[in-house]
Amino acid sequence: MSQIGATPITAPGWTADPKDGLAIVDCDVHHNFRHPEQLLPYLSTFYQEHFLDQGLHLGRFPNIPIRTNRVDLKGRQKKTDSQANKDDGGDPRDFNFSLDFLQEEHLDRWNVDIALLTGPPPFYGYSGLPDPDWAAALCRAFNDWTIEHWLDKDQRVVNAILISPSDPAQAVAEINRLADRKDTAAVMVPMGTQMPFGNRFYHPIWQACEQHGLPVVSHVGGGDGATRNVPTPVGYPTYYIESRMSRPYAASAHATSLICEGVFEKFPNLKFALIEAQQLWAVSVMWHLDTDWKALRDQTPWLKRLPSEYFRDHIRIGSQPMHEPEKPEQIHQMLDMLHAEETLIYCSDFPHFDWNDPVTVLPKLSADFHHRIFAGNALDMLRL
Amino acid sequence: MTQSTSVVVGKVWEIPPGERKIVVPFRGRAGIGVFNVGGSFYAVRNICPHKHGPLCTGELSGRVDTDAPPSSQGAFISLEGLGEIVRCPWHQWPFEIATGRCLVAPEVRVATYPVKIRGDDVVVEYEE
Repeated sequence: MSQIGATPITAPGWTADPKDGLAIVDCDVHHNFRHPEQLLPYLSTFYQEHFLDQGLHLGRFPNIPIRTNRVDLKGRQKKTDSQANKDDGGDPRDFNFSLDFLQEEHLDRWNVDIALLTGPPPFYGYSGLPDPDWAAALCRAFNDWTIEHWLDKDQRVVNAILISPSDPAQAVAEINRLADRKDTAAVMVPMGTQMPFGNRFYHPIWQACEQHGLPVVSHVGGGDGATRNVPTPVGYPTYYIESRMSRPYAASAHATSLICEGVFEKFPNLKFALIEAQQLWAVSVMWHLDTDWKALRDQTPWLKRLPSEYFRDHIRIGSQPMHEPEKPEQIHQMLDMLHAEETLIYCSDFPHFDWNDPVTVLPKLSADFHHRIFAGNALDMLRL
Repeated sequence: MTQSTSVVVGKVWEIPPGERKIVVPFRGRAGIGVFNVGGSFYAVRNICPHKHGPLCTGELSGRVDTDAPPSSQGAFISLEGLGEIVRCPWHQWPFEIATGRCLVAPEVRVATYPVKIRGDDVVVEYEE
């Protein structure tokens, strides 16, 4: 086990002392290419031409403020990135372009034991791409680029392979292609979709995940401000902060759909994480589903247990962005209501502006409880 | 009994207008940021009260304000005091360099220290 908080600040000095004996598994670490052209060698000739002619097709909701990243990291990338050159025009929002940067600025600094790579912001949107074949090709290219530049070099780094759920057959093929790699620890899908994830359309994907012992990690995007899907159930908001507040709707709809369609009856070993969508929504879903199910069970008679029991057994909640409530004790109340010792997995969201470091994100917890949230739940979920 | 201590943190030409110098250690390992805002010098503790981030290494910005939503007739959104605000690099909380006041949480302040210029020296004072 390692220390946390040893050298956690990018300015000299800090006030928190290192703590011994605490493991950290970070289930949301964004890695990125400096230029999308880096994916060209991993695309077929047809899709190279497609890219050069049409670009990525990955539009962004255009109202995201430019300061959506750790500006303290901006100047540090070039120092540590061996591929950097002075006149690069990389995306100013994202600075995690290389493994050595990740090691220096995050893994070593915070003593992260395991980091799950979750890819760059544009890729959150690939479920919204109109062309499912292009989406699948991009996923394959990004996975191969990740393998070549990020994996096999540091045992702390494991991968959530990207798939596009818009074509389950190609998604299954990609899972099968990469499932034998020991650094494939999960399968990543964006939360923005055309249909909620319990729909039978997706079941072949979940079946493949279960067969390989891989959990699904679904990250916000593709429907909450990343690309073509409507960011809220009531239409397009004006400001970025509004679309952020709609994330719990997406997570609630997916969790409810997965439970009610019987996905966890069909695939009893499947784990499904919903990350970067806050946490309190999960309390509301568990409570409200149980109440309603007692009256409405006849519509879903394949559910043999309370919906909240499926939730606690199968669904995992990312810890980021963590609520900062009015009264500090309310965090403890929320963790209790969430059954956090079963459901909550630590996510840093490195290197984005709303990230949570592992030292200050939660108040002091008992050692056992701390271990469940920061390592145990993720170690039980990921295929390691 | 309090005693005033003066620390020479550098020469004035080291910190031209719009620039800053991080001075460590200064009453703790995190140090201070000494800012030159339009010719006036200020010293701010380099620990953000929010999550202990390195506040003084953040970007400078200004005060954005308006009297009414933009849908109101004649509403005007102003941006004033560019360079008078520092935003913590970790989570973007904005602080007024001159006073340490947090623009988005009035009850939150970061410690500030008086700065004097003696000849070419930039001098930061504190009481203990």
